[in-house]
Amino acid sequence: MGDKITFKSFKEMPICAMSVADMTYNLTGSWRNVRPYYDYKISPCRLGCPTAENIQRYIFLVMENDFEKAWRTILESNPMPSVTGRVCFHPCMEKCTRKDFDQAINIPAIERSIGDAGLDNPKWMEKKRATKKEKIAVVGGGPAGLSCAFYLARQGYPVTIFESENALGGTLRWGIPEYRLPNVLLDRVIGSILESGPITVKTRAPLGEAVTIESLEKEYAAVFVATGLTRSRPMGVAGEDGPGVQRGLEFLHKVNGGEKAVPGKRVVVVGGGNTAMDVARCARRSGSEVTVVYRRTMNEMPAISDEIEEAEKEGVFFHFLAAPKSITRTGAGPLSVVFQQMKLGEPDESGRRRPVADGDKTFTMEIDTLFTAIGEEGNASPFEKAVEVSGGLIKIKNESGETSNTKIFAGGDVVTGAASVVEAIAAGRKAAERIGRMLSGEPEPVVEEPRTISIENINTAYFTKGKRTMVPRISVEEAVAGYREIFTGYDGDLLRREADRCFSCGVCNYCDNCWVYCPDVAIKRLAEEYEFDYDFCKGCLVCVTECPRSAISTREEGR
Amino acid sequence: MKATPQIPTNELMTSGHLACQGCGATQAMRFALKALGPKTAVVIPACCWAVIDGPFPHSSLKVPIFHTAFEAAASTATGVKAGLEMRGDTETVVMAWAGDGGTFDIGIQALSGAAERNEDIIYCCYDNEAYMNTGIQRSSSTPVGAWTTTTPGDHWKKRPKKKMIDIMAAHSIPYIATASVAYPQDLMAKLRKAREIKGTRFIHIFAPCPTGWKLAPELSVAMARQAVTSKVFPLIEIFDNGKTWTVWKDFEPTPLKDYIKAQGRFRHLTDEEIRGIEEETERSWQYLLSRERPSQNVPGLDAD
Amino acid sequence: MKKVIMGNHAVSYGVRASDVKVISAYPITPQTQIVELLSEMCAKGELDAKFIAVESEHSALTACVGASAAGVRTFTATSSQGLLLMHEIIHWAVGARLPIVLVNVNRAVGPPWSIWTDQNDSLSQRDTGWLQIYCESNQETQDTIVQAFKIAETVMLPVMVVLDAFFLSHTFEIVDILEPEQVRPFLPPYKPEFRIDVDTPHAFGNLASPGEYFELRYMIEKAMEKSRSVVRDVDREFEKHFGRGYGVVKPYRCEDAEYVLVTSGTVASTARAVIDQMRDEGIKIGALKIRVFRPFPFEEVYDVLSKAKKVAVIDRNISFGHHGIFYQEVKSALYGRTNVPISGYIAGLGGRDITPKVIREIADKLINDKKPEPGINWIGVKI
Repeated sequence: MGDKITFKSFKEMPICAMSVADMTYNLTGSWRNVRPYYDYKISPCRLGCPTAENIQRYIFLVMENDFEKAWRTILESNPMPSVTGRVCFHPCMEKCTRKDFDQAINIPAIERSIGDAGLDNPKWMEKKRATKKEKIAVVGGGPAGLSCAFYLARQGYPVTIFESENALGGTLRWGIPEYRLPNVLLDRVIGSILESGPITVKTRAPLGEAVTIESLEKEYAAVFVATGLTRSRPMGVAGEDGPGVQRGLEFLHKVNGGEKAVPGKRVVVVGGGNTAMDVARCARRSGSEVTVVYRRTMNEMPAISDEIEEAEKEGVFFHFLAAPKSITRTGAGPLSVVFQQMKLGEPDESGRRRPVADGDKTFTMEIDTLFTAIGEEGNASPFEKAVEVSGGLIKIKNESGETSNTKIFAGGDVVTGAASVVEAIAAGRKAAERIGRMLSGEPEPVVEEPRTISIENINTAYFTKGKRTMVPRISVEEAVAGYREIFTGYDGDLLRREADRCFSCGVCNYCDNCWVYCPDVAIKRLAEEYEFDYDFCKGCLVCVTECPRSAISTREEGR
Repeated sequence: MKATPQIPTNELMTSGHLACQGCGATQAMRFALKALGPKTAVVIPACCWAVIDGPFPHSSLKVPIFHTAFEAAASTATGVKAGLEMRGDTETVVMAWAGDGGTFDIGIQALSGAAERNEDIIYCCYDNEAYMNTGIQRSSSTPVGAWTTTTPGDHWKKRPKKKMIDIMAAHSIPYIATASVAYPQDLMAKLRKAREIKGTRFIHIFAPCPTGWKLAPELSVAMARQAVTSKVFPLIEIFDNGKTWTVWKDFEPTPLKDYIKAQGRFRHLTDEEIRGIEEETERSWQYLLSRERPSQNVPGLDAD
Repeated sequence: MKKVIMGNHAVSYGVRASDVKVISAYPITPQTQIVELLSEMCAKGELDAKFIAVESEHSALTACVGASAAGVRTFTATSSQGLLLMHEIIHWAVGARLPIVLVNVNRAVGPPWSIWTDQNDSLSQRDTGWLQIYCESNQETQDTIVQAFKIAETVMLPVMVVLDAFFLSHTFEIVDILEPEQVRPFLPPYKPEFRIDVDTPHAFGNLASPGEYFELRYMIEKAMEKSRSVVRDVDREFEKHFGRGYGVVKPYRCEDAEYVLVTSGTVASTARAVIDQMRDEGIKIGALKIRVFRPFPFEEVYDVLSKAKKVAVIDRNISFGHHGIFYQEVKSALYGRTNVPISGYIAGLGGRDITPKVIREIADKLINDKKPEPGINWIGVKI
């Protein structure tokens, strides 16, 4: 601020009107009726992410070329971005504001790049030592269990993971084929998690006789149960228990375990979810002719649309509005499967139209193998005495995974039924946070109603319509020939190009617009942020209009 | 924060100046000086900036300014440049900074004279399309359809805006450009380009006046942008002494109607009248595109 | 070096001798030859100045204003309509305190068109704050240009040097030409305290509130007052250097004069011839040439005229609705200090000759009229 120059006598004055000081004595802030202020919202993508990844932030950090910080940002809510970047069903993209402009940002592809950078830079992972004395048991080494163990270890709690299989990973290892998630990569991810803190692993340690939930409850300060779903759901069709009919999951388990599994020439996969797609595509890789039979239409398929598209490219046939009615077999020969024709009826509780039998229309297919992939069931029997269960799933009281037993928490598919990797990760993290607060006596944080924005709040004049950046991949022929990972990921330029498409909804990304357009030079450009200079801001609100992303709000002065 | 901002962080304009809220002329000055740098002397005739700069003994610019008479921007700048040169200062850029009235109307003689002599000055006209400082009277830059205090009621301006760029191009000066406060990087690039050229350089800067246009201040930049995207104020560069025209076309067009409807000064126009303006605007745009083609160049300016 | 040159060229030589750096001008008869020769001098390198051939007198003076504000010595010349077109900038140069020197060759104002002399063009700039010096000979004209720069740069006010169209501008006389090397010790390079300079940036001419404007105008008048002694001192110093001085006023045979004729410009020379003739007839008459019109030489005029019995003021100009302008000025200079009767005579408008006969007629009227007409006495008008 300058001083106003006044002259007491002409002797103090220059001989002509000549400036001797600047105008900063003139505090034009007094002209202001309305005050702008920086007010960051939560980007819709983050609200769409089950584990609330700070997507806007890490995309911003990619643009800043700060991959370490980007990686740390993800790790605040997800310990395995390399995994989710490959297999997540990305509900974030459904919420992406850019979807209402041209195409949603390819968030998982960006996340994957950051995650892989983290794997390539193991030093980024801060190693935590056990600083707390309370030991915690995690039952199940899938995404929920790994996530919970990671966030507990970060708080300094010693964690022991009890895993029934011979290796950690759960559905990531046994349920998802390598062309989507290579085992080598998964091993590195799990390795990075295990190295991050005081985590002990006990494999081939199913709950049963040696270890029970009761013994764990006694020995550990808290137990997190995340055993997932263990059984394929039966179709309830005559003849489904005989040879030639296989559980899709079992097939995947074998394939993922490196066992040779040749299902026969003609294969039908019954189901419309991701497992059905994985089974169908693995079967293609064994040289089979594969038809997916689904009782509704493609629109209702729960599988990730990209997966359906890939399956089609790989030569998987689809037959919609049909469900197996009976299976008969003659000796070791082919199966004869009768399918009931279906049609869509009234919407069910999921909002999708319910398939109903279309009269008595049927057709028959002669095939070698039928895979069932219509869903999985949980097995809650080991926990029945310790916690309240229902329908094979553990009942929880809130999203932190609290059960009817104060020492026992649960999360993942064993709670939700068949859900997603990211939801399991979220459940593990939230349980870990709650367990930590329970043990340390820390108060629960006050959660404010999140404020977000939509396309109407974006100043689209600053964006050019375009297309999502394609993710490089191997050819379909190469893909079907084996289990090589199909998508090879963005290189640096592609990554930046895609990251640059982000609107950064509701959050400042230092685009400089407010500072540039301020007619009153009343916005200070500091090292890490901007600051209004209310001494001079006249309240024209050009900054508010020209903020492309609605990161500035206003309020009337004097209120 | 970005290490390299889009716009240089040097500030040659201070806060506390006397511009209205959302003033485009002020943004224009800030951008121009960021581009030209501290070795710039500014000549300001009667115009909004004669007031914006601040009262004696204060100034909101950190470069030398000489305030001059209304019609005298170009001739004063001519003298300043001559004087500096005769003192051995050949580095300082002399920029005349005039409004549309001081350029299109009262100042056109001195400007024409300076341009014809190819005086070594940058002449910037910040165009807010009327005499705003005196209280919104029509100038020859006021667009057809606009209300001003001297084109009131049914007597809204019936004549089109003067094609100043064509007039300047006819002077065969080395560089002419139009720019808009909505496109600061472009504006600054043009001024930097101008700085490297000798001779008379004319930059016509579109600078909305929320007060005079009866426009919410927060929309001033948006209006400047829409003026470009609705082809009311095309971004043009003219090189080779008026011969080579380039028109910026790489934008998503927006309806002229939106631009007109957003501003109170056009409130009285009927849809039919707006359609007429739209047609005239399109004709002007086509004419402009024809200037890009060498065969369409004005007689006497051979395309070589 | 002595040369026979016309008055206009005497101006050009004065400018050349003054190391002027920027000249800006627009052609107008009868001034044109001044800038033609200057343009030639610049082209030949005899004068290291930038010559700007502008598109109007308004721009001519504004270019000088700009250049002067940038800190160099500037010059322009004009006449009549051209000076009137400059009027706005005439004021601007004063307010901006720029020591510009302008030559105005007195020419009558239209319509009707007239290219011949009278003083109404320069006298209509009377109240602008410019110093005005009226010249009588080509030598005086050249020398006054050099003096004018020194005066202007001392008091930071512009100076207008005025000469009669044709009677001086186109009349050839012997002039001792001043060379720049001779003049430099007398007139060192111009070094203003403030100027347009990116290293010490100031804004010049910003809006001033009533709280400051008044003082700025007060300072202009202070400078004008100071210029009274500066004009005198510069003339004396010039005389020391070059042996020629012109004074603020030039009395001729006034010591014991009962009657005094007040003149300006070339009329003064004619008047002196008439005075000699009348003195030979035994009439105690003298003449007073007013050389410096602004600042008006109150004391010098009083000193001479207060001793006379009757005074006649000859005006080649008129303030319509009032009197001849020099007449007004002389009256106001003497007001309340003496009761000497003063009468005013308007003669020679639009270039009509003011011959010895005309002056004799005025002198005779002054002496013979018992009670001289206090208002306008028209001389030679065809009634």
